[in-house]
Amino acid sequence: MEDIGMEEDSAEISGSAQKQGVADAWETVTNALMSPGGPGPEQGLWDSLALLSGEGLGRLLGGWLLETLQMRLSSAVVPEFWAELQQPENELEERGRAWVLLTAFQTLLGRLEPFLGGLERLESWQDEGRGSVCGPGPGGLQERAFTIIRALLLFSPSPVLQERVLEFYSRTFSVYMHQEGQAEDSAEAPEGPEGGVCPGCGVPTQQCWCKEALEQLKELSHILSKLQLLEWVSCEAVTSILHKLIEQRMEQHCRGEYERSFLLEFQTWLELVLGWLSKVFASEAEKDGLLPAPGAPSVPSTPCLQAGQPGSSVLKQWRCHMHQFFCRIYVNMRIEELFSIIRDFPESKAAIEDLKFCLERTNQRQQLLTSLKSAFESRLLHPGVHTSDILTVYISAIKALRELDPSMVILQVACQPIRKYLRTREDTVRQIVAGLTGDAEGCTDLASELSRGDPVTLEMQDSDEEGADPEDWTPDPTDAVPDKMGSKRRSSDIISLLVSIYGSKDIFIDEYRAVLADRLLHQLNYNTAREIRNVELLKLRFGESHMHYCEVMLKDMADSRRINSNIREEESRLSEEEQPPLSLSSIILSSEFWPPLKEEKLELPPVVCQAMEAYTHRYEKLKAMRTLSWKPHLGSVTLDLELEDRTLTNLTVSPIHAAIILHFQDKSSWTLEELSVKLGAPKELLHRKLALWQQHGVLREEAGGRYYVVETGSSKEKMDRGVMLIDSDEERDSNTTTQSEQREEKLQLFWAYIQAMLTNLDSMTLDRIHSMLRMFVATGPVVTEMDINELEGFLQRKVREHQLLVSAGVYRLPKAN
Amino acid sequence: MKVKIRQWNGVASWLWVANDENCGICRMPFNGCCPDCKVPGDDCPLVWGQCSHCFHMHCILKWLNSQQVQQQCPMCRQEWKFKE
Repeated sequence: MEDIGMEEDSAEISGSAQKQGVADAWETVTNALMSPGGPGPEQGLWDSLALLSGEGLGRLLGGWLLETLQMRLSSAVVPEFWAELQQPENELEERGRAWVLLTAFQTLLGRLEPFLGGLERLESWQDEGRGSVCGPGPGGLQERAFTIIRALLLFSPSPVLQERVLEFYSRTFSVYMHQEGQAEDSAEAPEGPEGGVCPGCGVPTQQCWCKEALEQLKELSHILSKLQLLEWVSCEAVTSILHKLIEQRMEQHCRGEYERSFLLEFQTWLELVLGWLSKVFASEAEKDGLLPAPGAPSVPSTPCLQAGQPGSSVLKQWRCHMHQFFCRIYVNMRIEELFSIIRDFPESKAAIEDLKFCLERTNQRQQLLTSLKSAFESRLLHPGVHTSDILTVYISAIKALRELDPSMVILQVACQPIRKYLRTREDTVRQIVAGLTGDAEGCTDLASELSRGDPVTLEMQDSDEEGADPEDWTPDPTDAVPDKMGSKRRSSDIISLLVSIYGSKDIFIDEYRAVLADRLLHQLNYNTAREIRNVELLKLRFGESHMHYCEVMLKDMADSRRINSNIREEESRLSEEEQPPLSLSSIILSSEFWPPLKEEKLELPPVVCQAMEAYTHRYEKLKAMRTLSWKPHLGSVTLDLELEDRTLTNLTVSPIHAAIILHFQDKSSWTLEELSVKLGAPKELLHRKLALWQQHGVLREEAGGRYYVVETGSSKEKMDRGVMLIDSDEERDSNTTTQSEQREEKLQLFWAYIQAMLTNLDSMTLDRIHSMLRMFVATGPVVTEMDINELEGFLQRKVREHQLLVSAGVYRLPKAN
Repeated sequence: MKVKIRQWNGVASWLWVANDENCGICRMPFNGCCPDCKVPGDDCPLVWGQCSHCFHMHCILKWLNSQQVQQQCPMCRQEWKFKE
């Protein structure tokens, strides 16, 4: 408005004579600007233009044009556009809606075209040197025009536009993907079963408008790009379509599927999608390619690096976007599934590798850690899960996460809860040791890991890795736990990780010794090949000195065999009547080197005792100044039972079972009390042990706690019923005392030291006691390294029992009264 | 009923017939071995003196070697003579 006012003012000032001429010239020029056909370069126009320029009015032309554009837009064009878009709303089908969308934009373009033409003309005049007509700044006029269009048109957009655009793009996308993908998808989606519905546009084939849709797409992109509205109208829709489609496709193809890699598959699919994008942004791309938008220093349009793609910065940008989408969505999904992936690990390696690739491109490590930790806590670390299962998952996690993150930081952080939890389980050590020796059902991994173990790398961890090239050093990821250990200490070795759960390998070795003792004592033959192999492998891991005790145990087995055959030989030289009534062999232990064995009282029948005495005599002859102390309850017995109508042969039972049944040989009925006196064993134990013979149908219990031999098997069915009733609690007892019992004993040993120290030194702090103990009690097989917390707990217990006083962190003994 | 025992596998531990538990020199159990040895028993035997004290053989030999003047039992200070 102001511009026009000014123009009139200046016209007045310039004088009335020229007034009419200027007005005419103005009329001519503006008419020419707005005329649709485009005027030829007539002389009259040029004269008028020159006149206007002469009057200094030329530069007002641009302003006038913009002003008119603005007025027309806000008064007519924009309302018309929205009305057209919204008008027939619900009655129409999708196809119709697409058409409405297109025509709305077509009308818009039709209305605006004269202005755009005028702008172009103005610019070309200016370029031809016919005076400054565009106002300041080359190209500024067009920019301003488009800004005005955008501003007025999209000032208050109705949601209908977004909906329509979204719908239209989705449709053209599926049409495009259908056409392009036909080659690859033809096998899975033949035309037939759809019942004549075009898979592209989703209507019966005869009404298929696939082609039309693509045409419309092309036209729409063209219009939008001409109005420079493409970015504003389409971007949001395209983004959400891509997002949704990638998500959908991933949901369909990848969820729960860990065994193959999806990266390449998605790569090709994304290229296909890019083909569609190139259609959406076709005109933009062309324009970009031909003449870079003035003012905006766009990337010089070199041919795109990716072969076969129309090169343009827009498409390049979209390619990046799509990759980013893809990675993010993929990582999100895999993070959700990570627990299952880990559980299936060796099979799910492909998924881990994909995840690793994508994770490097998104910033989601923290999310992964949090999610994985909580998955562990909710799915694994509760009382319902067996320790061996936790260990199995932990081992898989180690394997999987060291693939995922070679710096081991994820492993270290995510598995912290597992380690903490395992520490609270009592049977963890035993399970791990069982795994190592290949006893456990579930985790055979450990045994193979042990045999695979290369001690070289283990050694490496201890040395300072002097040889490593400092150039190869890579810093820790930012989420690493800052600890003293440092990255080189962050081990990925499964066994070291498991062993370090408790912080000390001594506990492990003690437990291994107990397991080894059990295995050796339960063995009937003296075959130790497997144990020797295990011990050798463990020696590689833990060092010679730690496994020394186990070696002595194995040597005991070999010695026992030799001594046995010596004694056998001696016996065979005896005359017939001197032959021992019982074939006895023995495992002879070096008591100091075996873990403490359970002490149980058991009086064996005289025939066995005699045999043992005879054996001891021969041993004493063999080894001067040495004798044997028998452990009557340990070992195993093979025997045959001859009953009146049947024989049970080759039963292998424990000595106490054998002792029981031997007594029944002399006397066919015993009460529990009588047996208890005879065997010197508690009644409850005997009651349990008798169950075995009841199960075999050899003994039966009658009222009054009396047991009888079942001589005839006539009562077979009765016997069977008996079998059902007696529950077998005959689990294989361990011969060694449990870890906690041993620990208790050890603490008692410490107590003697502590008392002595406090007597001499009056009072000491916890730290002092701890370091003194470490110094004094550093030798000997049973003393494992003691945790300072454990010591504190122990001392506090003593304080509660009034055997110790504590004040201000200093411990002292109570004054003797 | 007749019970026929085919094989009885017992378990026993061996021990030195000595009047003490620990070696008076190294303070380790007799049934273990002296600090220099790895394997007990045959490889690290005990020896008795005429004074009836006994030690790990390796321990007492070391002790005797370190005595310049007179060879005495470290426990009772009598002259050390191996018991035959």
